[in-house]
Amino acid sequence: MKVNPELIDEIKKYGAFDISACFNCGNCTAVCPLSKEDASFPRKLIRAGHVGMEEKIGSALEPWHCYYCGECSATCPREAQPGEYMMALRRYLIAKYDITGLSKIFYKTGWLQTWLALGMLAFFYWLYASYTGDFGALAGKIELAFPVYVTVALGGYVLNMYRHAVVKPLGGIKASLKPAHIYETLVHGFTQKNFNGCEETDLVRWAAHLLVMSGYVLTLLISNLHLLAPLDKHYGAFHPVSLLVWYAGFGILVGGGVMSLRRVFKSAESSKFSHPSDWLFVVTMFLIGASLLFTHYLNVAYGPGDPLLAKVYRLNIAIETVWIILIVPFTKWIHIFFRPLAVYFQHVKKEAEAGTAFSL
Amino acid sequence: MDEKITEAASKDNYRQEPKVGVYVCHCGGNISDIIDVKAVAAALAKYPGVAVAREYAFMCSSNGQDLITKDIKELGINRTVVAACSPSLHELTFRGVLQRAGVNPYLHEHINIREQASWVHKADHDGATAKAIKLAQAGVEKVLRKDALNAIRVAAEQRVAVIGGGVAGMRAALSAAGKGLEAVIIEKAPRLGGRLLELGKMYPSGEEGPAVAKKLEDLVLAEPKITVHTGAEIDFVSGFVGNFKVNFKKPDGSSQQVKAGALVMATGYEHYKPAKGEFGYGEDGNVLTLPEFISLMKKLPAGRLEYGGREIKSLALIHCVGSRQVEGVHKPQADGKINDYCSRVCCTSALYAANQLKEKYPGVRVYDVYRDIRTYGMQHEDYYDKASKDGVLFMRHNETDQPVVVSDRTGHTVKVKDVLTWGEELEFKADLVVLVTGMMPADISLIRSQMKLPASADRFLQEVHPKLRPVELANSGVFVAGAAQYPMDVTEAMASAGTAAAKAAILLAEPDIPLEPFVAVVDEHKCTGCGLCPPECSYDGALMMTEKNGKKLAVVNPALCKGCGACVAVCPVRAINVAGWTLDQFDAMVEAIAKE
Repeated sequence: MKVNPELIDEIKKYGAFDISACFNCGNCTAVCPLSKEDASFPRKLIRAGHVGMEEKIGSALEPWHCYYCGECSATCPREAQPGEYMMALRRYLIAKYDITGLSKIFYKTGWLQTWLALGMLAFFYWLYASYTGDFGALAGKIELAFPVYVTVALGGYVLNMYRHAVVKPLGGIKASLKPAHIYETLVHGFTQKNFNGCEETDLVRWAAHLLVMSGYVLTLLISNLHLLAPLDKHYGAFHPVSLLVWYAGFGILVGGGVMSLRRVFKSAESSKFSHPSDWLFVVTMFLIGASLLFTHYLNVAYGPGDPLLAKVYRLNIAIETVWIILIVPFTKWIHIFFRPLAVYFQHVKKEAEAGTAFSL
Repeated sequence: MDEKITEAASKDNYRQEPKVGVYVCHCGGNISDIIDVKAVAAALAKYPGVAVAREYAFMCSSNGQDLITKDIKELGINRTVVAACSPSLHELTFRGVLQRAGVNPYLHEHINIREQASWVHKADHDGATAKAIKLAQAGVEKVLRKDALNAIRVAAEQRVAVIGGGVAGMRAALSAAGKGLEAVIIEKAPRLGGRLLELGKMYPSGEEGPAVAKKLEDLVLAEPKITVHTGAEIDFVSGFVGNFKVNFKKPDGSSQQVKAGALVMATGYEHYKPAKGEFGYGEDGNVLTLPEFISLMKKLPAGRLEYGGREIKSLALIHCVGSRQVEGVHKPQADGKINDYCSRVCCTSALYAANQLKEKYPGVRVYDVYRDIRTYGMQHEDYYDKASKDGVLFMRHNETDQPVVVSDRTGHTVKVKDVLTWGEELEFKADLVVLVTGMMPADISLIRSQMKLPASADRFLQEVHPKLRPVELANSGVFVAGAAQYPMDVTEAMASAGTAAAKAAILLAEPDIPLEPFVAVVDEHKCTGCGLCPPECSYDGALMMTEKNGKKLAVVNPALCKGCGACVAVCPVRAINVAGWTLDQFDAMVEAIAKE
């Protein structure tokens, strides 16, 4: 095999800044709860990156199983941060599978990233300035674009991942039709049950994630289902929609706040390294939560006619619109989506090796 | 013989009535838990020739020693047998007791009833006791036949001859001069400095090799006690401790002789020279050894790495070239041996060179092909660490799967069966291949054969004991400094040279050198001059045939004799004995032990 040292340089742009320090001792593999009898994870993926095995990396499913418990990084004698390498691999793979090309710009450290952030800001300002009149209805229409965009982008992901992880290495279209496998895939999707495999379950991390995720999903539902019409109706503080909004807003603020503090104080292995995209994510999320809360507070306290309310609501809608564009490349979010897929593809690979897979 | 040697193992002619004191040690239970020490003392007290026999908890303690002193003073004891631990532990202790009490220290016999009786016969108390009695009785028989010996004293030249003027030689000369000795450096090259002169930046301080050489050279030249001969070609080295003679030719063709009390061998190393075609070396391609590459890098400005007019964008380092060679895989050297030893310092110097390379030419791709990385020294691991972090790609092969370099018009393709990539054969292009060559000892075969200096299987000079006597050769008065002993870096060579100089200074601290009197002694009346013994002698010049009053005779040079006894064994008429270990003594011991 021809050595390709360019690959590791490329992966390093996605955040694995220290991985060249690895000298293949295998300590990471010894402590990794995911490592099986063949003792290959994460050791072999690191080596494959070093020598430039592009196909092996492109078809790797293991990074999606990793929850970044950080045992490997804590044990690494060379401080090569294997945990962060897995994170970078996930970003690299997302960029590889992404049909929009946005992820690549977003994750690679460099001037494009700065331009993207600045562009977002400009776009945000333009939206804010141009939403006039009955922008609530306009916002509703724009939000309609969201499911379409997400479906197209995610569809691209699934197809590309399938192509790289299954079709290319196995040389054909293969599938597993075993109900048990499909069931397990769904279970993983909903419960993220492999997290229990990590030796020290980080309860704070788990709770913060839960708060942010549930708050965030609620926010999307509220916007997309157009549950909220703050300029038309006056809501009571304990109205059912109000309760949803309070939960969603505080969930994002508290959960996001905890996660940001952990990043600032680097309290766990998984929060030691912050990629610029992490901060962009956290800040935008914060703004969504804060503007949503503030909008609703003004409505509850002063009624729909309050002049400040219209401005804040406009701000809220503008941020959420910008956000739509960014939603797809975020690993944090996409995790939930890729992990069960990885579980399923693993089954397909195994079945294909055993000759029992469905094939075309 | 023009050297002054005082009183070789001469016999003490006045003989007092022998009065033997026997002292049985308990060794704090080590002996007395198994052996009935009271019974041993009682049995010995009755033995012919024994004036007194005692037992005590710790004979080596000051109370135990006082016991012997008191008996010497009050009972007139003039020979002692101590039945205790191994003589290697405390024989010198008791010789000291005798000497302080005014008795010849060699009239002592140390019997080992701990290692040879109590420890090995734990289950058989009676048997151990009986054996201890026999051993002690044999000791009495021996000590009764002992002569009062005197240490041999050899007048010594107060001068150290240092062979080799590299870093180790200069350091050794400076240290010896610092101790007040004269030092003479004899260097074959036209100037001092040795291998330092060809080096670039050196770890760990980052100083340039030639700069360090210059510093040492300035100190050496400023030191009035040091004489330097450069361009000197040694043609004959002879002599023995205290009286070595080094003969050499000066650059003008004239001969000179240096006399010295001690010799420091600071003869250094040679770089391994790859065979023609070994990884493409010596053919048209861009294949260099690490020393050659270091010289190249020294000359080039930063920014663009160039060799043979072409820019070098990728470079392969191949470790263990000429080191850790494998039987059946590597071609043997001229002497038929392979270099199966590790040259120790090459891993670190290769990595340090890679660090510098990455600093000076960050764009160059560096591939490092190794079998094992042995960055053994202080901070050496940091260079390995840094090389990895700088993106040097390491590939590791097995001893039997050597990397292959294929050269063509476009450059070199290196193929490695990489165990880190689960045995996959990796290949990459390299504009320049650098062979990390090992060290071989400098060719000092002339001095080695003239002086019979011991060498290890790796052909480097070999010390007496790696831990206990690390810079002394078996030849008394000859010390080794630096990489003549084994591959070492500058830091280690400095330390070793300082040690060698200190050892030489201890040896020459007094105007004459005391030597153990246990050397061969020829009975001139018995010797028939048959000439059987000199061929058995392993120490050049220690035993020779001569003529005295028309009679052929064997004569011993006590300064060279090691007392091995090889000559004793071949003498058909029992004319040779080793002082302190005579045949009569052995006969009597055997008889005492065998007696019913």
